[in-house]
Parts: sequence; C-alpha cells; structure tokens
Amino acid sequence: MLTLEALKEYGADTEDGLKRCMDNRDFYIRLIGKALENKCFKELEDYIAAGDLDGAFETAHSLKGVVGNLALTPIYKPVCEMTELLRARTEADYTPLLNEISAKREELLSLM
Amino acid sequence: MKEHSDVLAGGKRNILVADDEFINRELLENILSDEYDVLKAEDGEMAYEMIRQNRNTLSLILLDLIMPKMTGLELLSRISDEPDLKGIPVIVLTSDHDSEVESLRNGAYDFIPKPYPQPDVIKARVSRSIELAENRQIISATERDELTGLYTIEYFYRYGSQFDKYYPNAEMDALCFDVNHFHVLNERFGTEKGDEILKHIAERLETVFADKASFVCRKTADTFLVYCSHRDHDEYAKIVDQIAEIGEDLHTSLKMRVGVYSCCDKKLDIHLRFGRAKIASDKIRNNYTVSVSDFDEALIDAELFAEQLVEEFPKALEEKQFLVYFQPKFDIRGDKPVLSSAEALVRWIHPSLGMISPGAFIPLFEGDGLIAKLDEYVWRRTAEKIADWKARLGISVPVSVNLSRADLYDPELVDTMEKITRESGISRDDLYLEVTESAYVSDSSQMVDRVKALREHGFFIEMDDFGSGYSSLNMISELPIDALKLDMKFIRTAFEKKNDTRMISIVIDIADYLKVPVIAEGVETEEQYLELKRLGCAIIQGYYFSKPVPADEFERFLNDKKEGKG
Repeated sequence: MLTLEALKEYGADTEDGLKRCMDNRDFYIRLIGKALENKCFKELEDYIAAGDLDGAFETAHSLKGVVGNLALTPIYKPVCEMTELLRARTEADYTPLLNEISAKREELLSLM
Repeated sequence: MKEHSDVLAGGKRNILVADDEFINRELLENILSDEYDVLKAEDGEMAYEMIRQNRNTLSLILLDLIMPKMTGLELLSRISDEPDLKGIPVIVLTSDHDSEVESLRNGAYDFIPKPYPQPDVIKARVSRSIELAENRQIISATERDELTGLYTIEYFYRYGSQFDKYYPNAEMDALCFDVNHFHVLNERFGTEKGDEILKHIAERLETVFADKASFVCRKTADTFLVYCSHRDHDEYAKIVDQIAEIGEDLHTSLKMRVGVYSCCDKKLDIHLRFGRAKIASDKIRNNYTVSVSDFDEALIDAELFAEQLVEEFPKALEEKQFLVYFQPKFDIRGDKPVLSSAEALVRWIHPSLGMISPGAFIPLFEGDGLIAKLDEYVWRRTAEKIADWKARLGISVPVSVNLSRADLYDPELVDTMEKITRESGISRDDLYLEVTESAYVSDSSQMVDRVKALREHGFFIEMDDFGSGYSSLNMISELPIDALKLDMKFIRTAFEKKNDTRMISIVIDIADYLKVPVIAEGVETEEQYLELKRLGCAIIQGYYFSKPVPADEFERFLNDKKEGKG
C-alpha cells in the first residue's frame, strides 16, 4: 500500500497534489493508481516507434496534464521535456526520455 | 407578476466537465461537487450532445482543448455558432500558453491552466464566469412578453427545465391553450380589442396557475403554454370555461381549447413536450363541442403522416400523381335520365401508399395553403380533358370543378379562370364552378363579390353543400348562383329516418323561387332516385348511376350520349 511518506520520498510534491484532491488522502492515492494504468504511457512509445510525432505530441501533452495534476514530479519532468521537444516536432532520439519515464513509472508501481 | 427566480435559486447549478482524461475529470468533480452538480463528458462529441440536451440548465462548461472525436476549439466554435448555446460560458482547460489566448479570442470566458491551480482559485474562476454570464443574460434577453407580462418562450423553457432538475419526481402536465379562430376576432373587432382579449386571458391564466410550480408563457399570437403539476381532465375543462368567461365581460363570444400532454415524459426535450400539447390542441381546432384534448401516441402517427403528405405535395404535383376522376350528373326531369354534366374530383395515386382518400389530404392542404395550387392543377387538367373530348369524340358535357375558400381570396381568380379556358380552347360554359355554401356565409362580402365577378364573366356557379352552411333565406336571394347542390347529408338523413323528405321539399321550393335547378348528390338507390324525381329534383349524381371514374372510362358515357343512348 502506497503511503504519503513513500510518495514524498519518491519525489512527488505531495502537498501540492493533496491540495488538488481537497486533502483527501485516499482519493489522491487511488487516482495515482489509476494514472499509472493510463494508456498514454504505452501509446507514447508506440507513436515514437512509428515516427508519428503529431500523435506523440498529443499523447505527451495529455500525459503531462495528468501527472502534473497529481504532482508526480519524477515523471512530470521528463514528460514536460518531451512535450516541448515534440511541440517543435524535433527529430531526436527519444529513447533516453522514454526510458526515464518508464523507469520512474515502474518505481512508483513497485511502491503501490 | 409571479417570479420563479427564488424557487429555482435554491438548487445547485449544472456544470459540464469535458476532458478525455479520467483523472482530470475526477479532480474537478471532487473540487466542484459541493457547490455544483457536475456532468462529465470524455470526448468532444459526447460533450456536444450533453450541452444540447442540458442547454436550458447548464451554467458553465469546463473544456479541455485536446480531445478525441472533436477538439475543444471545434466545440467552442460550434457553441458560439448556435444561438441557443452561445450564452453558456466556457472555461478552457489547458497546459498550453498559446492556446489560452486563442481560446479567449474564440469566445471562451476564461482559462484554467494545467496542472490545476489551488482549488480555491478554480472555484473563484468558475463562480465569477457564471456570475458574468448570468448578468449578461439579464441585460440582453427579455424575460417578459411585452403585451401580457408573461414569460417569453425562451425563459419559459429555461425555467421549466430548471424546475425539472430540482424537482425530478414532480408529475407535470404540458398544456397548450389556443383561442378558436382568433384571427376572426381580430378582423371583426380590430387588433386593439384582440390585444385586450389576450391580456385578459394572460391575467386569468396567471390567476388559475398561481402556484410556484406553474409556469405560464405566451408563445405566439393567441397560443399560451402552461407547465404545471398534474391535474385531471375534468379540471382542465373547468379551467377552459373559466377563461372563456372573460368573453362575457368583453361582450364577445370567446371559445378556447386546450391540448394536454399529461404526466409528460421528462426524458423528452421540453420543446417536444409542448409540441405534443399543440398537436392535441390542433386536433380539436374545429370542434366546438369539445374544449380539452388529451395527447396520445396515435396523434403523433397521424401528424407524421400529415407531415409526409404535405412534404411530398410539390413532387406529387410535378410527377402528376394527382388524377382527375369524373362523376356523371344526370338530368332526370324527362322520361329517361340524360347525361347533363359531370363533377371533376381529385384522386392521389401515391407511388408507395396507393390511392389516398381526398378526405385525408384535402383538409390538410386547406389548412396549409397548398389547396390553391392543387385546385388550379385540377381546373387545368379538367379543361384540357374537355378540349380533348371535343376534338377526339366530337362531344363533351360541362364539368364542374371545386373552388376552395382560399381560391376566393385570390384577386387573380377571374383572370386565372379565363386564362385556363382560353389556353385550353374551351368556352366558359364548359367549366362549371362549385362554391361551398359555407364560403358565402363565413366571410365578408369580398367572397360574394368575387363569385359575382366570375358569374358576370360567364361562368356557371353551383352552390355546393347547400343546407350545411345556415345561409339565411334573405341572403340566398341575393347570392350569385345558377344551381343549388343539396348537401349529401340531407339525402342520407332523409332516407334513413322513415323517408322524411320534408327538408328536401323545402330546398326544392327555395330553388324554384330562385329559378335554379336542384342537384342531389350521394344518390345511391333506386328508391332515392324515384323519390327525388317525384319531389321535383332536376339533376342527380351518385353511385346509383356511377361512382367517380377515370377520364377514359367516362368516355363511355359521352359515347352513349352521342349515340343517343343516354
């Protein structure tokens, strides 16, 4: 079971995230569980693999909104970075960023 | 004046959150649900549908810009294009600075960035946008009808829908009150008096429906809508009488009717609920003995059928789906009945519905103003047929065509008739004109003058349905007529009730006095034929001799006449 302390230690801005959840701790933890199942993680990898930067941008953009709202800073940071690169449709090697996002997601999943 | 703002102020306002991300929707709902009822949509199309459905009760839309099926910006432009939606304020949800400005340019009230700011900030922005929009509506929209002080239709629907939201279990009736033939009152007494009558009706309706769960509005001229808690049929009958009483105070006779869609289905759009009440009301438009009409599903079928016929009319005319049938009239004054003339009757041979009875479409077209087109079509086809018989068979008889009341309002009528006879190459005494008695009686001298003009131009005028329109004897002597055509009902009742033919005798006496022949239609049996002959009736039409037949079959009668057989 994920605790606020563990979440804080993981790097999330729990104070910020909790406020958006009207200080409802269970609600916050439940939404984090939901967010980690979000299909955007998989879709982002697929779009990049297919070279579809338009699709990748929209997905990264959506994901940014979700993880940002839950203040999951370790995931939010690389997603933000990716979103900005994709907004300019930058042809780059996105593997390191995708790996970072994936690793941070796995890490949080292991705390659940 | 009754106010509903207080009774409706207590409930929560509706807000729609349109965002494809579950987490974002949940967060906003959690923040706002204490103060608002939150509806949620997960794509653009779903959001649009929900906005349309809830347009009367929706106070705000929180809109994500990137959504499947329809983007937020597309939705925003759709909302601002539709007059009944554009008053609903929209706050855009975005993590994108460029989009903020673009959204505001496209009509958004405000934006909320992602990640979301503090809940207090969100709440403040939401409530400020709602307040702004509501104030703007109060300034721009008219809540009250200028003449009567009742709600306007827009506010009526809005308040009605809000009431449903706060009292979802209340059993409600949708009512549509109409004044029978209000235009006649306006014409007789002038619009000033007409307006006074409407004001009195409005006052009376407000008195009767004074409780806070009732809403009254004037929809158009003499149509009033009421949304109220359920009452039974008899109570409505009393209410209609109560309202019509004001006619006495105003020294005029006022007949009102109400269509009731009882315990209405609230899943149905509020406009449609009142559409149903209106259908029920229209059903008894010409019925002077009934004043309350309840809606039932069968009426919808009838209405849809009627709509279909009206819709298909232009195409049917173009494709010549209307055929002219002919029913012979025989002169029975001599030893042997002799073919003297015929009546042209229209039949609609519909490609998929088969033959449609004139009883199904003529009253419909009379109400819809299409009858004048159909009539002219029949006159033309008839004139062409007469010319064709003359040319091919060397013989014809005069054929009578029907003139509707709408035709008599047409100032070009005489010219049209002349043009038709001229263009088809027949003479004016080949075409007889049947004018129903009620047309003479119901209206001004204008109609009588028009018939006179036709007669002066050489057309033969038969007064149709004589005995159904209550012409005064005094008046008949002055009317321009060449024949009296006995209402078919006369023949039926005369022979049903122990051969009581006294009324027929009286009509024949009147005709004798006017020196015009009497034509009896609807004659079906030999007994009727012999009795009418004995009474002195001149001409007979009916199934006893022949039903209405297509033009080629009618040629048989012409050929017989030519050979001296009939």
